[in-house]
Amino acid sequence: MFAQFFGAFLLNKQLVTPEALARAIDEKKNTRMRLGVLAINAGLMTAEQVEHVNVAQQTVDKRFGDLCVEFGYLTQDNVDTLLSESPSDYLLLGQTLVNDNSLTNAQFEDAIKEYKELYQLTDDDISGYQNDKLLGLVKEFYHFNTAENARIYTDYITLLFKNIIRFIGDDFTPQQSTVVKSAEADYVVQQSIVGKYKADVCICAGKSEYVSIAERFSSDVFENSPEFIDAAVGEFLNVINGLFVVNESNESGTELTLEPQVISVNKEIPLESEGFCIPVTFSFGEVVFIVSVH
Amino acid sequence: MDLRDFKILICDDSMFARKNLSMFLASLGIGNIYEAADGEESVAKYQEFKPDLVFMDIVMPKLTGIDALRQIIESDPAAKVVMASSVGTQNHLKQAIMLGAYDFVQKPVDKEQVKKIIEHLAGQK
Repeated sequence: MFAQFFGAFLLNKQLVTPEALARAIDEKKNTRMRLGVLAINAGLMTAEQVEHVNVAQQTVDKRFGDLCVEFGYLTQDNVDTLLSESPSDYLLLGQTLVNDNSLTNAQFEDAIKEYKELYQLTDDDISGYQNDKLLGLVKEFYHFNTAENARIYTDYITLLFKNIIRFIGDDFTPQQSTVVKSAEADYVVQQSIVGKYKADVCICAGKSEYVSIAERFSSDVFENSPEFIDAAVGEFLNVINGLFVVNESNESGTELTLEPQVISVNKEIPLESEGFCIPVTFSFGEVVFIVSVH
Repeated sequence: MDLRDFKILICDDSMFARKNLSMFLASLGIGNIYEAADGEESVAKYQEFKPDLVFMDIVMPKLTGIDALRQIIESDPAAKVVMASSVGTQNHLKQAIMLGAYDFVQKPVDKEQVKKIIEHLAGQK
């Protein structure tokens, strides 16, 4: 999971021009991945080794993968594995930029390394105990809805918990989830993710827990006013949902967007479709997250 | 250019996001910080203050940040608008680039990145 779209990272680093990036986003649908970029991405080969094989290929009539094995850069198993996995969309973007000479293999190698170091939220962030609870929750999604929805639930919930750790803290325990048709609490912050599919997400909390979430998320800029607290919890949800849509775009090229958040006080909000209700117990109290994919 | 003379417009419907960014900009010594809470207000405030730099959210009421960017660039092709949004997907990024956005910052905003953008721009003026 990533905290930024790879193309935006390349742009920020001024490794590609805006024009080249916009062109590559359009053209990547016609791009075929090459083993060299896959091997660099997997950290199995350096750009220098890829260049070496490229040069060698100009004089010998052999496949790239066979030469990599011959030179001892990859094993046959590596080659088979790399070629059998369907590439993430951001890799196709990288390959497109390498193909049109916007990026060299060496620049791609440095960029992908730095990108992953900076923005990949690893599974190590989640403690063993939390991870067991999380896996338990995720398993339940497979008894509900379609396989594709189960995949979306799993990815969303995993990203949600990573970001709770990142922005609120790791002093929580997720509880047994239930299936609900509405959201009800003192405060309900709701936002819809729309596009190829729709997902409604709610944060439901009592007054003091609502303030605690705002306080932790905003840390040193916190201001104890109702308007600020609503805006902070709303932004917390917006940031998580934003990272989710960025990951969908980055990994599979699925384009989604967000609708503005709606905050309700002391109301029961009906959901368009059944959703998973996941109560999470923090040291300051319980906050309920509801996710409904349809 | 002296940062005290620098004018920055923050466009975001979230009061939290505006405050978070404006406090950081103030800590850098930016002298003139303006705020807009929706797309329409963003365009109006741009015309009024002619800021050196704009931070523009995308998902906003009345007019989206993409439409506000379009209107600002139409009126001033040299405008420096950095999209600062949670929805940094490839379509949004491409749209923003095609319309002439200066850069794209994913939320939660990385303050170091914001600082670099400002220093880079201030160095050019």
